[in-house]
Amino acid sequence: MLIVWFFAAQALPPYQLPGPIKVGDKLAWLVATPAGLWHVAASIFHVAAAMLASFVLGFFVALLPLYLPVAVIMVDGRFTPFVNSFPGIGWTMLAIVWLGIGTNTVVFSVTIILLPFMIINLREGVRALDRELMEMAGSFSRSRARAFRLIILPSLFPFMFSAMRVSFGVSWKVTLTAELLGGTTGLGYLMNVARQELDTAQIFAVMLLIVLLVYAINRLLFDTAQRHLQLGRVGAAS
Amino acid sequence: MTARARRSGWLGQHAAAEGLVMLAVLGWWWMSNSLSAMVLPSPVSVLKRTFDLFVDPELSRHALVTFLRVAGSVFISLVVGLALALLARRAQWIDAIVRDRILVALNALPSVGWAILALIWFKASTLSVMFVQVMILLPFAVTNFMEGLRNLDAEVVEMAHSFTRRRRAVFAKITLPMMLPYGVAALRTSYGICWKIALVAELFGAQSGLGQLMLRAQAAADATTVLATCFAIVVLFAAGQKLVIDPIARAMRADLHQP
Repeated sequence: MLIVWFFAAQALPPYQLPGPIKVGDKLAWLVATPAGLWHVAASIFHVAAAMLASFVLGFFVALLPLYLPVAVIMVDGRFTPFVNSFPGIGWTMLAIVWLGIGTNTVVFSVTIILLPFMIINLREGVRALDRELMEMAGSFSRSRARAFRLIILPSLFPFMFSAMRVSFGVSWKVTLTAELLGGTTGLGYLMNVARQELDTAQIFAVMLLIVLLVYAINRLLFDTAQRHLQLGRVGAAS
Repeated sequence: MTARARRSGWLGQHAAAEGLVMLAVLGWWWMSNSLSAMVLPSPVSVLKRTFDLFVDPELSRHALVTFLRVAGSVFISLVVGLALALLARRAQWIDAIVRDRILVALNALPSVGWAILALIWFKASTLSVMFVQVMILLPFAVTNFMEGLRNLDAEVVEMAHSFTRRRRAVFAKITLPMMLPYGVAALRTSYGICWKIALVAELFGAQSGLGQLMLRAQAAADATTVLATCFAIVVLFAAGQKLVIDPIARAMRADLHQP
Protein backbone atom coordinates (compact mmCIF):
# COMPACT_ATOMS: atom_id res chain seq x y z
CA MET A 1 0.00 0.00 0.00
CA LEU A 2 2.90 2.32 0.80
CA ILE A 3 4.29 1.69 -2.67
CA VAL A 4 0.98 2.51 -4.38
CA TRP A 5 0.77 5.65 -2.29
CA PHE A 6 4.32 6.63 -3.29
CA PHE A 7 3.65 6.31 -7.01
CA ALA A 8 0.21 7.90 -6.87
CA ALA A 9 1.78 10.84 -5.07
CA GLN A 10 4.33 11.19 -7.87
CA ALA A 11 1.54 11.57 -10.39
CA LEU A 12 -0.62 14.01 -8.43
CA PRO A 13 0.23 17.53 -7.26
CA PRO A 14 1.43 17.53 -3.62
CA TYR A 15 -1.49 19.60 -2.37
CA GLN A 16 -3.83 16.82 -3.48
CA LEU A 17 -1.78 13.85 -2.36
CA PRO A 18 1.57 14.39 -0.66
CA GLY A 19 4.13 11.57 -0.80
CA PRO A 20 4.86 9.31 2.15
CA ILE A 21 8.28 10.86 2.70
CA LYS A 22 6.87 14.38 3.10
CA VAL A 23 4.18 13.12 5.46
CA GLY A 24 6.88 11.26 7.42
CA ASP A 25 8.82 14.51 7.76
CA LYS A 26 5.79 16.28 9.16
CA LEU A 27 5.06 13.40 11.50
CA ALA A 28 8.64 13.60 12.80
CA TRP A 29 8.15 17.32 13.39
CA LEU A 30 5.02 16.57 15.44
CA VAL A 31 6.54 14.02 17.76
CA ALA A 32 10.18 15.12 17.94
CA THR A 33 10.23 18.91 18.25
CA PRO A 34 9.07 20.92 21.29
CA ALA A 35 6.65 22.97 19.16
CA GLY A 36 5.02 19.85 17.71
CA LEU A 37 4.94 18.01 21.01
CA TRP A 38 3.30 21.01 22.66
CA HIS A 39 0.27 20.62 20.39
CA VAL A 40 0.16 16.86 20.90
CA ALA A 41 0.29 17.38 24.67
CA ALA A 42 -2.45 20.01 24.47
CA SER A 43 -4.74 17.58 22.64
CA ILE A 44 -4.02 14.81 25.14
CA PHE A 45 -4.83 17.23 27.94
CA HIS A 46 -8.13 18.25 26.28
CA VAL A 47 -9.14 14.61 25.83
CA ALA A 48 -8.20 13.64 29.40
CA ALA A 49 -9.88 16.64 31.04
CA ALA A 50 -13.09 16.21 29.06
CA MET A 51 -13.23 12.46 29.71
CA LEU A 52 -12.75 12.97 33.43
CA ALA A 53 -15.37 15.72 33.63
CA SER A 54 -17.95 13.83 31.60
CA PHE A 55 -17.32 10.63 33.56
CA VAL A 56 -17.94 12.35 36.89
CA LEU A 57 -21.04 14.14 35.56
CA GLY A 58 -22.33 11.02 33.84
CA PHE A 59 -21.80 8.96 36.97
CA PHE A 60 -23.96 11.31 39.02
CA VAL A 61 -26.70 11.49 36.41
CA ALA A 62 -26.73 7.71 35.92
CA LEU A 63 -26.93 6.97 39.64
CA LEU A 64 -29.51 9.64 40.39
CA PRO A 65 -32.54 7.43 39.58
CA LEU A 66 -31.17 4.70 41.85
CA TYR A 67 -31.54 6.93 44.90
CA LEU A 68 -34.33 9.12 43.56
CA PRO A 69 -36.71 6.78 41.70
CA VAL A 70 -38.90 9.68 40.63
CA ALA A 71 -36.10 10.81 38.28
CA VAL A 72 -36.15 7.75 35.99
CA ILE A 73 -38.08 9.32 33.10
CA MET A 74 -36.31 12.61 33.70
CA VAL A 75 -32.96 10.96 33.01
CA ASP A 76 -33.85 8.22 30.51
CA GLY A 77 -36.65 9.97 28.69
CA ARG A 78 -35.66 13.63 28.63
CA PHE A 79 -32.09 14.50 29.56
CA THR A 80 -30.16 11.68 27.86
CA PRO A 81 -32.03 11.75 24.52
CA PHE A 82 -31.62 15.51 24.45
CA VAL A 83 -27.84 15.58 24.95
CA ASN A 84 -27.54 12.55 22.72
CA SER A 85 -29.29 14.08 19.74
CA PHE A 86 -28.09 17.67 20.06
CA PRO A 87 -25.36 18.09 17.43
CA GLY A 88 -21.80 18.33 18.69
CA ILE A 89 -20.87 21.21 16.41
CA GLY A 90 -23.75 23.14 17.90
CA TRP A 91 -22.18 22.87 21.34
CA THR A 92 -18.84 24.01 19.97
CA MET A 93 -20.40 27.00 18.19
CA LEU A 94 -22.31 28.01 21.32
CA ALA A 95 -19.22 27.54 23.49
CA ILE A 96 -17.28 29.88 21.21
CA VAL A 97 -19.91 32.54 21.82
CA TRP A 98 -20.13 31.90 25.56
CA LEU A 99 -16.53 31.16 26.51
CA GLY A 100 -14.48 32.63 23.68
CA ILE A 101 -11.85 30.74 21.73
CA GLY A 102 -9.50 28.64 23.83
CA THR A 103 -9.09 25.65 26.12
CA ASN A 104 -12.37 26.23 28.01
CA THR A 105 -14.41 26.01 24.83
CA VAL A 106 -12.71 22.81 23.71
CA VAL A 107 -13.02 21.04 27.05
CA PHE A 108 -16.60 22.22 27.57
CA SER A 109 -17.89 21.08 24.20
CA VAL A 110 -16.07 17.73 24.29
CA THR A 111 -17.38 17.10 27.81
CA ILE A 112 -20.99 17.64 26.76
CA ILE A 113 -20.57 15.55 23.62
CA LEU A 114 -19.12 12.64 25.63
CA LEU A 115 -21.76 12.89 28.35
CA PRO A 116 -24.47 10.77 26.64
CA PHE A 117 -21.99 7.97 25.92
CA MET A 118 -21.05 7.88 29.60
CA ILE A 119 -24.66 8.03 30.81
CA ILE A 120 -25.95 5.37 28.41
CA ASN A 121 -23.23 2.88 29.40
CA LEU A 122 -23.50 3.54 33.13
CA ARG A 123 -27.31 3.47 33.08
CA GLU A 124 -27.08 0.05 31.48
CA GLY A 125 -24.98 -0.99 34.47
CA VAL A 126 -27.38 0.49 36.99
CA ARG A 127 -30.28 -1.31 35.31
CA ALA A 128 -28.36 -4.58 35.42
CA LEU A 129 -27.71 -4.25 39.16
CA ASP A 130 -28.79 -7.43 40.83
CA ARG A 131 -31.94 -6.61 42.82
CA GLU A 132 -31.53 -9.63 45.07
CA LEU A 133 -27.92 -8.86 45.79
CA MET A 134 -28.92 -5.33 46.77
CA GLU A 135 -31.68 -6.67 49.00
CA MET A 136 -29.26 -9.02 50.67
CA ALA A 137 -26.82 -6.18 51.20
CA GLY A 138 -29.63 -4.18 52.77
CA SER A 139 -30.46 -7.02 55.14
CA PHE A 140 -26.86 -7.37 56.22
CA SER A 141 -26.14 -3.75 56.84
CA ARG A 142 -28.11 -0.56 57.05
CA SER A 143 -25.21 1.52 55.92
CA ARG A 144 -25.97 2.79 52.42
CA ALA A 145 -22.38 3.91 51.98
CA ARG A 146 -21.19 0.37 52.62
CA ALA A 147 -23.67 -1.11 50.16
CA PHE A 148 -22.50 1.44 47.62
CA ARG A 149 -18.83 0.67 48.12
CA LEU A 150 -19.11 -3.10 48.36
CA ILE A 151 -21.97 -3.95 46.00
CA ILE A 152 -22.91 -1.14 43.63
CA LEU A 153 -19.46 0.12 42.71
CA PRO A 154 -17.96 -3.32 41.94
CA SER A 155 -21.02 -4.31 39.86
CA LEU A 156 -20.62 -1.14 37.85
CA PHE A 157 -16.93 -1.65 37.07
CA PRO A 158 -17.39 -3.42 33.71
CA PHE A 159 -19.85 -0.72 32.61
CA MET A 160 -17.54 2.08 33.70
CA PHE A 161 -14.86 0.42 31.69
CA SER A 162 -16.94 0.22 28.54
CA ALA A 163 -18.11 3.81 29.07
CA MET A 164 -14.48 4.92 29.16
CA ARG A 165 -13.57 2.81 26.18
CA VAL A 166 -16.40 4.03 23.97
CA SER A 167 -15.85 7.66 24.96
CA PHE A 168 -12.13 7.43 24.36
CA GLY A 169 -12.65 6.51 20.73
CA VAL A 170 -15.20 9.29 20.28
CA SER A 171 -13.24 11.86 22.25
CA TRP A 172 -10.31 12.07 19.82
CA LYS A 173 -12.54 12.77 16.90
CA VAL A 174 -14.64 15.42 18.56
CA THR A 175 -11.64 17.04 20.23
CA LEU A 176 -10.15 17.52 16.81
CA THR A 177 -13.32 19.24 15.60
CA ALA A 178 -13.58 21.39 18.70
CA GLU A 179 -9.93 22.44 18.49
CA LEU A 180 -10.28 23.16 14.82
CA LEU A 181 -13.19 25.54 15.34
CA GLY A 182 -12.63 26.89 18.81
CA GLY A 183 -9.07 26.19 19.91
CA THR A 184 -5.72 27.94 19.91
CA THR A 185 -3.64 24.82 20.57
CA GLY A 186 -3.80 21.13 19.79
CA LEU A 187 -3.80 18.90 16.75
CA GLY A 188 -7.13 20.25 15.52
CA TYR A 189 -5.74 23.77 15.55
CA LEU A 190 -2.74 22.59 13.53
CA MET A 191 -5.14 21.02 11.09
CA ASN A 192 -7.00 24.29 10.66
CA VAL A 193 -3.73 26.12 9.96
CA ALA A 194 -2.78 23.40 7.48
CA ARG A 195 -6.15 23.70 5.79
CA GLN A 196 -5.73 27.42 5.23
CA GLU A 197 -2.23 26.94 3.86
CA LEU A 198 -3.27 23.93 1.75
CA ASP A 199 -0.55 21.98 3.58
CA THR A 200 -2.02 18.56 2.86
CA ALA A 201 1.07 16.75 4.18
CA GLN A 202 0.42 18.25 7.61
CA ILE A 203 -3.24 17.08 7.51
CA PHE A 204 -2.11 13.56 6.64
CA ALA A 205 0.47 13.63 9.43
CA VAL A 206 -2.08 14.73 12.04
CA MET A 207 -4.59 12.07 10.95
CA LEU A 208 -1.89 9.40 10.93
CA LEU A 209 -0.68 10.41 14.38
CA ILE A 210 -4.21 10.19 15.77
CA VAL A 211 -4.72 6.73 14.31
CA LEU A 212 -1.42 5.62 15.88
CA LEU A 213 -2.20 7.24 19.23
CA VAL A 214 -5.70 5.78 19.48
CA TYR A 215 -4.45 2.35 18.44
CA ALA A 216 -1.52 2.43 20.88
CA ILE A 217 -3.54 3.64 23.85
CA ASN A 218 -6.30 1.13 23.12
CA ARG A 219 -3.76 -1.68 23.01
CA LEU A 220 -1.59 -0.59 25.92
CA LEU A 221 -4.13 0.84 28.31
CA PHE A 222 -7.57 -0.58 27.61
CA ASP A 223 -6.65 -4.09 26.47
CA THR A 224 -4.30 -4.52 29.43
CA ALA A 225 -6.86 -3.14 31.86
CA GLN A 226 -9.54 -5.41 30.41
CA ARG A 227 -7.33 -8.47 30.86
CA HIS A 228 -6.70 -7.51 34.47
CA LEU A 229 -10.38 -6.90 35.09
CA GLN A 230 -11.32 -10.30 33.72
CA LEU A 231 -8.56 -12.02 35.64
CA GLY A 232 -9.75 -10.27 38.79
CA ARG A 233 -13.28 -11.49 38.30
CA VAL A 234 -12.27 -15.04 37.53
CA GLY A 235 -10.07 -14.98 40.63
CA ALA A 236 -12.95 -13.76 42.75
CA ALA A 237 -15.29 -16.42 41.46
CA SER A 238 -12.99 -19.36 42.02
CA MET B 1 -45.75 -3.29 44.09
CA THR B 2 -49.49 -2.75 43.64
CA ALA B 3 -50.90 -1.34 40.43
CA ARG B 4 -51.84 1.84 42.22
CA ALA B 5 -48.39 2.39 43.62
CA ARG B 6 -46.90 1.80 40.19
CA ARG B 7 -49.32 4.26 38.66
CA SER B 8 -48.51 6.98 41.12
CA GLY B 9 -44.81 6.29 40.55
CA TRP B 10 -45.39 6.72 36.84
CA LEU B 11 -47.27 9.96 37.42
CA GLY B 12 -44.59 11.29 39.74
CA GLN B 13 -41.90 10.40 37.27
CA HIS B 14 -43.65 12.23 34.49
CA ALA B 15 -44.27 15.21 36.72
CA ALA B 16 -40.59 15.33 37.58
CA ALA B 17 -39.50 14.88 33.98
CA GLU B 18 -41.86 17.49 32.53
CA GLY B 19 -41.02 19.74 35.46
CA LEU B 20 -37.36 19.61 34.58
CA VAL B 21 -38.08 20.44 30.95
CA MET B 22 -40.26 23.38 31.93
CA LEU B 23 -37.71 24.56 34.45
CA ALA B 24 -34.97 24.38 31.84
CA VAL B 25 -37.00 26.38 29.30
CA LEU B 26 -38.02 28.91 31.94
CA GLY B 27 -34.42 29.28 33.09
CA TRP B 28 -33.34 29.75 29.50
CA TRP B 29 -36.03 32.37 28.92
CA TRP B 30 -35.15 34.19 32.15
CA MET B 31 -31.45 34.24 31.36
CA SER B 32 -32.03 35.33 27.78
CA ASN B 33 -33.87 38.39 29.12
CA SER B 34 -30.74 39.75 30.71
CA LEU B 35 -28.32 38.65 27.98
CA SER B 36 -28.03 39.96 24.46
CA ALA B 37 -29.59 37.90 21.67
CA MET B 38 -26.10 37.44 20.26
CA VAL B 39 -25.11 35.44 23.34
CA LEU B 40 -28.37 33.73 24.25
CA PRO B 41 -31.48 34.32 22.16
CA SER B 42 -34.87 33.77 23.76
CA PRO B 43 -36.58 30.38 23.36
CA VAL B 44 -39.45 32.03 21.48
CA SER B 45 -37.26 33.45 18.72
CA VAL B 46 -35.33 30.18 18.41
CA LEU B 47 -38.60 28.23 18.12
CA LYS B 48 -39.81 30.62 15.43
CA ARG B 49 -36.55 30.29 13.49
CA THR B 50 -36.63 26.49 13.79
CA PHE B 51 -40.15 26.56 12.36
CA ASP B 52 -38.92 28.79 9.54
CA LEU B 53 -36.22 26.25 8.71
CA PHE B 54 -38.95 23.83 7.65
CA VAL B 55 -41.47 26.15 5.99
CA ASP B 56 -39.51 29.00 4.47
CA PRO B 57 -38.73 27.87 0.90
CA GLU B 58 -35.22 29.33 0.90
CA LEU B 59 -34.31 27.78 4.27
CA SER B 60 -36.15 24.48 3.96
CA ARG B 61 -34.06 23.71 0.88
CA HIS B 62 -31.06 23.38 3.20
CA ALA B 63 -32.88 21.01 5.53
CA LEU B 64 -34.06 18.87 2.61
CA VAL B 65 -30.57 18.71 1.09
CA THR B 66 -29.08 17.60 4.40
CA PHE B 67 -31.75 14.94 4.87
CA LEU B 68 -31.26 13.53 1.36
CA ARG B 69 -27.50 13.40 1.81
CA VAL B 70 -27.88 11.47 5.05
CA ALA B 71 -30.29 9.01 3.44
CA GLY B 72 -28.01 8.51 0.45
CA SER B 73 -24.88 8.03 2.54
CA VAL B 74 -26.55 5.51 4.85
CA PHE B 75 -27.74 3.51 1.83
CA ILE B 76 -24.33 3.54 0.11
CA SER B 77 -22.44 2.59 3.24
CA LEU B 78 -24.80 -0.33 3.89
CA VAL B 79 -24.36 -1.68 0.36
CA VAL B 80 -20.58 -1.22 0.33
CA GLY B 81 -20.35 -2.56 3.89
CA LEU B 82 -22.23 -5.73 2.98
CA ALA B 83 -20.06 -6.19 -0.10
CA LEU B 84 -16.86 -5.80 1.92
CA ALA B 85 -18.08 -8.20 4.62
CA LEU B 86 -19.01 -10.79 1.98
CA LEU B 87 -15.65 -10.31 0.29
CA ALA B 88 -13.84 -10.81 3.60
CA ARG B 89 -15.55 -14.17 4.01
CA ARG B 90 -14.03 -15.43 0.78
CA ALA B 91 -10.50 -15.82 2.12
CA GLN B 92 -8.57 -15.60 5.34
CA TRP B 93 -6.13 -13.01 4.06
CA ILE B 94 -8.86 -10.61 2.86
CA ASP B 95 -10.54 -10.97 6.24
CA ALA B 96 -7.26 -10.09 7.96
CA ILE B 97 -6.76 -7.02 5.77
CA VAL B 98 -10.32 -5.79 6.29
CA ARG B 99 -10.36 -6.49 10.03
CA ASP B 100 -6.89 -5.46 11.10
CA ARG B 101 -6.07 -2.69 8.65
CA ILE B 102 -9.07 -1.13 6.92
CA LEU B 103 -11.42 -1.24 9.93
CA VAL B 104 -8.78 -0.07 12.41
CA ALA B 105 -7.79 2.85 10.21
CA LEU B 106 -11.33 3.86 9.25
CA ASN B 107 -12.50 3.64 12.86
CA ALA B 108 -9.76 5.90 14.10
CA LEU B 109 -9.81 8.50 11.32
CA PRO B 110 -11.66 11.62 12.42
CA SER B 111 -14.51 13.09 10.40
CA VAL B 112 -12.94 16.57 10.29
CA GLY B 113 -9.85 15.09 8.68
CA TRP B 114 -11.97 13.49 5.98
CA ALA B 115 -13.94 16.70 5.59
CA ILE B 116 -10.84 18.77 4.89
CA LEU B 117 -9.36 16.17 2.56
CA ALA B 118 -12.67 15.83 0.72
CA LEU B 119 -12.76 19.58 0.24
CA ILE B 120 -9.29 19.48 -1.32
CA TRP B 121 -10.06 16.46 -3.48
CA PHE B 122 -13.63 17.06 -4.61
CA LYS B 123 -14.14 20.80 -4.01
CA ALA B 124 -17.23 21.94 -2.13
CA SER B 125 -20.01 19.68 -3.38
CA THR B 126 -22.53 17.01 -2.42
CA LEU B 127 -19.99 14.41 -3.52
CA SER B 128 -17.53 15.71 -0.96
CA VAL B 129 -20.12 15.64 1.87
CA MET B 130 -21.30 12.13 1.06
CA PHE B 131 -17.72 10.90 0.74
CA VAL B 132 -17.03 12.02 4.31
CA GLN B 133 -20.24 10.44 5.61
CA VAL B 134 -19.67 7.13 3.85
CA MET B 135 -16.07 6.94 5.10
CA ILE B 136 -17.24 7.42 8.67
CA LEU B 137 -20.22 5.03 8.41
CA LEU B 138 -18.43 2.24 6.57
CA PRO B 139 -16.63 0.67 9.57
CA PHE B 140 -19.89 0.41 11.51
CA ALA B 141 -21.69 -1.23 8.61
CA VAL B 142 -18.83 -3.64 7.91
CA THR B 143 -18.50 -4.61 11.58
CA ASN B 144 -22.23 -5.34 11.85
CA PHE B 145 -22.36 -7.42 8.69
CA MET B 146 -19.19 -9.33 9.57
CA GLU B 147 -20.69 -10.13 12.95
CA GLY B 148 -23.83 -11.34 11.18
CA LEU B 149 -21.87 -13.55 8.79
CA ARG B 150 -19.84 -14.96 11.67
CA ASN B 151 -23.01 -15.97 13.47
CA LEU B 152 -24.61 -17.51 10.39
CA ASP B 153 -25.96 -20.86 11.32
CA ALA B 154 -23.43 -23.12 9.60
CA GLU B 155 -25.74 -26.12 9.74
CA VAL B 156 -28.59 -24.31 8.05
CA VAL B 157 -26.26 -23.20 5.27
CA GLU B 158 -24.94 -26.74 4.93
CA MET B 159 -28.46 -28.08 4.70
CA ALA B 160 -29.27 -25.51 2.05
CA HIS B 161 -26.25 -26.60 0.06
CA SER B 162 -27.36 -30.20 0.25
CA PHE B 163 -30.70 -29.21 -1.28
CA THR B 164 -29.33 -27.17 -4.13
CA ARG B 165 -26.05 -26.43 -5.81
CA ARG B 166 -27.10 -22.98 -6.84
CA ARG B 167 -25.06 -20.64 -4.65
CA ARG B 168 -27.19 -17.71 -5.68
CA ALA B 169 -30.36 -19.39 -4.44
CA VAL B 170 -28.73 -20.21 -1.10
CA PHE B 171 -27.53 -16.64 -0.81
CA ALA B 172 -30.92 -15.11 -1.55
CA LYS B 173 -33.04 -17.58 0.44
CA ILE B 174 -30.79 -18.33 3.43
CA THR B 175 -27.85 -15.98 3.85
CA LEU B 176 -29.61 -12.69 3.21
CA PRO B 177 -32.66 -13.36 5.43
CA MET B 178 -30.41 -14.51 8.25
CA MET B 179 -28.41 -11.32 7.89
CA LEU B 180 -31.50 -9.12 8.14
CA PRO B 181 -31.32 -8.44 11.90
CA TYR B 182 -27.73 -7.36 11.51
CA GLY B 183 -28.69 -5.21 8.56
CA VAL B 184 -31.32 -3.50 10.68
CA ALA B 185 -28.78 -2.95 13.46
CA ALA B 186 -26.35 -1.52 10.92
CA LEU B 187 -29.10 0.74 9.54
CA ARG B 188 -29.97 2.06 12.99
CA THR B 189 -26.39 2.69 14.02
CA SER B 190 -25.43 4.29 10.71
CA TYR B 191 -28.49 6.50 10.73
CA GLY B 192 -27.72 7.83 14.21
CA ILE B 193 -24.06 8.41 13.50
CA CYS B 194 -24.70 10.00 10.14
CA TRP B 195 -26.80 12.72 11.75
CA LYS B 196 -24.07 13.30 14.28
CA ILE B 197 -21.48 13.96 11.60
CA ALA B 198 -23.78 15.50 8.98
CA LEU B 199 -23.03 19.00 10.22
CA VAL B 200 -19.27 18.47 10.36
CA ALA B 201 -19.27 17.04 6.86
CA GLU B 202 -21.21 20.03 5.53
CA LEU B 203 -19.26 22.63 7.45
CA PHE B 204 -16.35 22.70 5.03
CA GLY B 205 -17.27 20.68 2.00
CA ALA B 206 -20.63 22.06 0.94
CA GLN B 207 -22.38 25.06 -0.50
CA SER B 208 -25.76 24.12 0.90
CA GLY B 209 -27.24 22.20 3.80
CA LEU B 210 -27.76 22.87 7.48
CA GLY B 211 -24.03 22.70 8.23
CA GLN B 212 -23.35 25.59 5.85
CA LEU B 213 -26.30 27.49 7.24
CA MET B 214 -24.90 27.09 10.73
CA LEU B 215 -21.40 28.14 9.74
CA ARG B 216 -22.72 31.27 8.04
CA ALA B 217 -24.90 32.06 11.05
CA GLN B 218 -21.94 31.65 13.38
CA ALA B 219 -19.80 33.95 11.26
CA ALA B 220 -22.60 36.54 11.38
CA ALA B 221 -22.91 36.13 15.18
CA ASP B 222 -26.49 34.96 14.67
CA ALA B 223 -26.91 32.69 17.70
CA THR B 224 -30.64 32.33 17.01
CA THR B 225 -30.01 30.52 13.73
CA VAL B 226 -27.18 28.42 15.24
CA LEU B 227 -29.53 27.12 17.93
CA ALA B 228 -32.41 26.74 15.49
CA THR B 229 -30.21 24.60 13.20
CA CYS B 230 -29.33 22.38 16.16
CA PHE B 231 -33.00 21.88 17.01
CA ALA B 232 -33.88 21.31 13.36
CA ILE B 233 -31.34 18.47 13.36
CA VAL B 234 -32.91 16.98 16.49
CA VAL B 235 -36.38 17.18 14.88
CA LEU B 236 -35.23 15.74 11.54
CA PHE B 237 -33.36 12.93 13.28
CA ALA B 238 -36.36 11.99 15.40
CA ALA B 239 -38.79 12.24 12.48
CA GLY B 240 -36.65 10.02 10.27
CA GLN B 241 -36.28 7.53 13.11
CA LYS B 242 -40.02 7.34 13.78
CA LEU B 243 -41.27 7.56 10.19
CA VAL B 244 -38.62 5.65 8.25
CA ILE B 245 -36.23 3.59 10.38
CA ASP B 246 -38.72 2.14 12.88
CA PRO B 247 -41.24 1.02 10.21
CA ILE B 248 -38.43 -0.60 8.19
CA ALA B 249 -37.19 -2.43 11.26
CA ARG B 250 -40.71 -3.58 12.10
CA ALA B 251 -41.39 -4.72 8.53
CA MET B 252 -38.19 -6.73 8.48
CA ARG B 253 -38.97 -8.34 11.79
CA ALA B 254 -42.45 -9.27 10.58
CA ASP B 255 -40.96 -10.63 7.38
CA LEU B 256 -38.56 -12.75 9.35
CA HIS B 257 -41.24 -14.38 11.45
CA GLN B 258 -43.43 -15.30 8.54
CA PRO B 259 -43.39 -19.03 7.83
